[in-house]
Amino acid sequence: MSFVIPHRIYNNTFLLSADRCIFWEEEKILILSDLHLGKTGHFRKAGIAIPQAVFKEDMQRLVSQLQSFKPRQVIIIGDMFHSESNKEHEFFLKWRQDFASLPIHLVKGNHDILKKEWYALADITIHTCELLIGDFVFVHDVVDCTVPDHGYIFSGHIHPAVTIRGLGKQSLSFPCFYFGMRYAVLPAFSKFTGTFTIEPKAGENVFALVKQTIISF
Amino acid sequence: MKLLSTKGYNIISDWLAAKGHHPFLFQEQTWQEIIEGKSGLVNAPTGCGKTFSVFLGAVIDFINHHPDNYQTKIKNGLQLIWITPLRALAKDIGRAMEEVIMELGMGWKVGIRNGDTTMSDRQKQKRQMPEVLIITPESLHLLLAQKGYAEVFATLKILAIDEWHELLGSKRGVQVELAVSRILACHRQKQSKKIEVPEAVLENTNEGAVMVKAKKLNKPTTEDRKLSIWGISATIGNLEQAKEVLLASLKSKEGAAGKIIKAVVNKKIEIESIIPDEIEKYPWAGHLGLKLVDKVVPIIKNNKTTLIFINTRGMTERWYQALLNVAPELAGAIALHHGSIEQDLRLWVEDNLHTGRLKAVVCTASLDLGVDFRPVDTVIQVGSPKGVARFLQRAGRSGHQPDATSKIYFLPTHSLELVEAAALKQAISETFIESREPMLLCFDVLAQYLCTLAVSDGFAPAEIFEEIKKTHCYNQITEDEWQELLFFLTAGGAALQQYDEYKKIEVEEGVYRITNRRMAMRHRMHIGTIVSDSMLKVKFMSGGYVGVIEEYFISRLQPGDVFTLAGRNLEYVMIKDMTAIVKKSTSKKSIVPSWNGGRMPLSANLGLMLRRTFDKAFEMNGRTLVKKERQDNPELSVLKPLFDLQESLSHIPKENELLVEHIETKDGFHLFVYPFEGRLVHEAMAAILAYRISRITPITFSFAMNDYGFELLSDQPIPVDDTNVYELFSLDNLFADIQRSVNSVEMAKRKFRDVAVIGGLIFQGTPGEYVKTKHLQNSASLLFNVFTEYDPKNILLRQAYQEVLDQQMEEVRLRNMLERIQKGNIKIQFPARLTPFCFPLKVDSMRENLSSEQLEDRIKRMQVQLEKI
Repeated sequence: MSFVIPHRIYNNTFLLSADRCIFWEEEKILILSDLHLGKTGHFRKAGIAIPQAVFKEDMQRLVSQLQSFKPRQVIIIGDMFHSESNKEHEFFLKWRQDFASLPIHLVKGNHDILKKEWYALADITIHTCELLIGDFVFVHDVVDCTVPDHGYIFSGHIHPAVTIRGLGKQSLSFPCFYFGMRYAVLPAFSKFTGTFTIEPKAGENVFALVKQTIISF
Repeated sequence: MKLLSTKGYNIISDWLAAKGHHPFLFQEQTWQEIIEGKSGLVNAPTGCGKTFSVFLGAVIDFINHHPDNYQTKIKNGLQLIWITPLRALAKDIGRAMEEVIMELGMGWKVGIRNGDTTMSDRQKQKRQMPEVLIITPESLHLLLAQKGYAEVFATLKILAIDEWHELLGSKRGVQVELAVSRILACHRQKQSKKIEVPEAVLENTNEGAVMVKAKKLNKPTTEDRKLSIWGISATIGNLEQAKEVLLASLKSKEGAAGKIIKAVVNKKIEIESIIPDEIEKYPWAGHLGLKLVDKVVPIIKNNKTTLIFINTRGMTERWYQALLNVAPELAGAIALHHGSIEQDLRLWVEDNLHTGRLKAVVCTASLDLGVDFRPVDTVIQVGSPKGVARFLQRAGRSGHQPDATSKIYFLPTHSLELVEAAALKQAISETFIESREPMLLCFDVLAQYLCTLAVSDGFAPAEIFEEIKKTHCYNQITEDEWQELLFFLTAGGAALQQYDEYKKIEVEEGVYRITNRRMAMRHRMHIGTIVSDSMLKVKFMSGGYVGVIEEYFISRLQPGDVFTLAGRNLEYVMIKDMTAIVKKSTSKKSIVPSWNGGRMPLSANLGLMLRRTFDKAFEMNGRTLVKKERQDNPELSVLKPLFDLQESLSHIPKENELLVEHIETKDGFHLFVYPFEGRLVHEAMAAILAYRISRITPITFSFAMNDYGFELLSDQPIPVDDTNVYELFSLDNLFADIQRSVNSVEMAKRKFRDVAVIGGLIFQGTPGEYVKTKHLQNSASLLFNVFTEYDPKNILLRQAYQEVLDQQMEEVRLRNMLERIQKGNIKIQFPARLTPFCFPLKVDSMRENLSSEQLEDRIKRMQVQLEKI
């Protein structure tokens, strides 16, 4: 069981997992973003020897999250797949069979360029712009959100990280969950992703993922 | 064969005589070796005929072999490959060679091959190679990436490596080693095939075994076809090793091949320090230099052409402005030259240096090498040159005519730096010049090389393994390391077998190849070992190109900010298509870019000389100097008040002493240590010492370091005294203590970037391909994290850590220093207040938290206070 911290928004409880995803207790939905499946494969196909263990570990982490939270459905807020199809996607299809009854929703991100047929084959429900559930909006990149005045937005895309500065010019940077007044940004689920350092303002919540725990700021 | 009796020699010496010259002894010695088919190394400074020593040797040899038709014989195939580290040099060398060929009435062609060579010229060269090919190490590897490359080298007689001292000690030098090993092997194979031919013919004609044997014994045919390797190098500390590295592939059971031929040239160098009117007893780095600009103007005016060498690009911009401010009449007669300036402008500067139209050029190392600018008669070095070799090299840029004197001024950026001038003079009089340590086991370069061979004709691992093991760089490679590298290139490391599509090098019947055309093309575009920061072009909104600048710098600017580049104030507008758009600005205030260039540490040689110079300063202390002494030691004499103060407050360390100062100020407890071993060693030593002290008592420190020493600062007394100090500087457990104290992970991360680019894990986007490769882009730090977590034993990752030890911490030097300290005396002092020695360090550690104006004010106050006491 991974380390979790509860966070309340609009009277709903969201469990933030140190394994880079959120479990929405009321709806029993697992929310994650920026999986970039097939990224290692994409690089390896081009002759760049990224250790494939990254991909393996990402998949295993997803399984363990599914097993521990037992969600009714999964929402992926974009960039589920990194690029064009490759054999790692086939591995995903095989994996999908083991969770055949689990509905997966994908809010399309800029990397999701696979053909419609493929998503159908993988039994993934596609949402081209955004997905609304109650007061909550799910969109890949928050700047593309077309629902301005209402609801709380969950987004991904930027792979947020926060930098902690120490004495003597020392600094460390960690991936994080960001919760602003109107919207949240999830860390990238895949560990083979770069990060963008955010500068949180007062009143905003940031949860840094430090090894297997979460530290709140 | 006696050189003097050969036709080739006579033709050349007649040709020289007709121009009123005659050959130097070292040239004749080289020619003799060349006509005997031997290899070697010519040690000669630039501008004294080193090019002709090897080039004319090749010509003489050719004439000797074709005495009757040497003028008419054309299309001879490649005879001489001339490797040069600088593209800019190629054109001038080529021109000089063409002139000789033309005057001798020969039909040889000279070709240039580098990044600037056009496609059509490349095609022409492919159809018919010129006799002489001038090439950079990178382009030579590109040649090895061409199908059928072995053919090209079949006729080759000499492979010459110019400026070998520049290449040795870098990964480009390793590229040369690899190319030499391959070309020699191609040549050997070709020769053995050629010899086989007559045998086959003979057997077909059924003339019997006896004849065949006789042919086999007929050796001379192979003898005169032997390929010779010739290095040309300036003087360095390890010349013998330089030769051995270059000729390692020729080494036989009888020992190392080749001779060193030294040019005896007694070049006169005059060194003069620019001495400030007032010597500060409390010196600090960073402000004095520009204050001496008034003293520079007369030097510029009284000489024909002056080169002003400055260590950083940022400071060149400031100096250029400062010179124009004090001497506006120099506008148009002075110019700026550094690596970020647009190439056309740089070429314009170089042309005008040749013709003598410029009075002065403010430059960085960008003008260290290269062709001679005859009008240059004076050089000014601003700040520490960090090494004896570099100082000599720069001095040598002036007074190029064989009997002219090189004149160099040393301009200190703080008063203590004047000691360096004295040390440099002594080092030069003893020819105490730094060594260039050749690099070892660069797996990144080897990975790139193997892909290069895989792209062209493919390779058989057993054969290439034998070849590379003969090179100096890979002499110690183990079978395991080799297999690991091959596994990495062919299988991409461990993977999920059936879901993996890793493809790079494929094996077909024992031959390792890259067959995918796109991959091959991408590899060709990335051959090379110079990894630069990602650069953006800087352009005016109205069009017109200014230069290039690090993306890192631009990314921190806001639109409207004004910065200086190429001597112009520019207002940043926006970034568009990998180009920074700017407009002219009249703003007085501007940001001078701080380029991320590696700050060179003080060399070991200069450090030693410095310590010796302090010996002398100690000896002069406390007595009045006689006139002769003052004349002989101008720098130490003017610094006498500073040294007297140092000795009265603390101590002037002698050569065999290490000075340690405990000082308490309102900031806390300081420990200053002065090993004079350069900032990298000091950085590592500071961390190790802090770690070792913290084992005695729990304590935390902040560090500061410069080339002379380092500082530990704490809020509690630092427990270092006579009883434990030798132990604290002990060699015992050094390696383990390094691992525990130095943040080698962070350092390795930085090193890994270069290793990953060279080793083919990161492709720096190429302009046209920007969008297409987007999904393949990656940051080095992400890769580093991924490998650290998932493949920590990866061969390239290990190399990054090794490079940190070797280069970032200069581990060998660190050990030597500790050995020296153990043998000498450690002097612990407790000065009542800050000393002249510690002041620059103190200022450096204050710098981090203060803006420059605040800093200047505070330092002035401190200086006043300290001097009053």
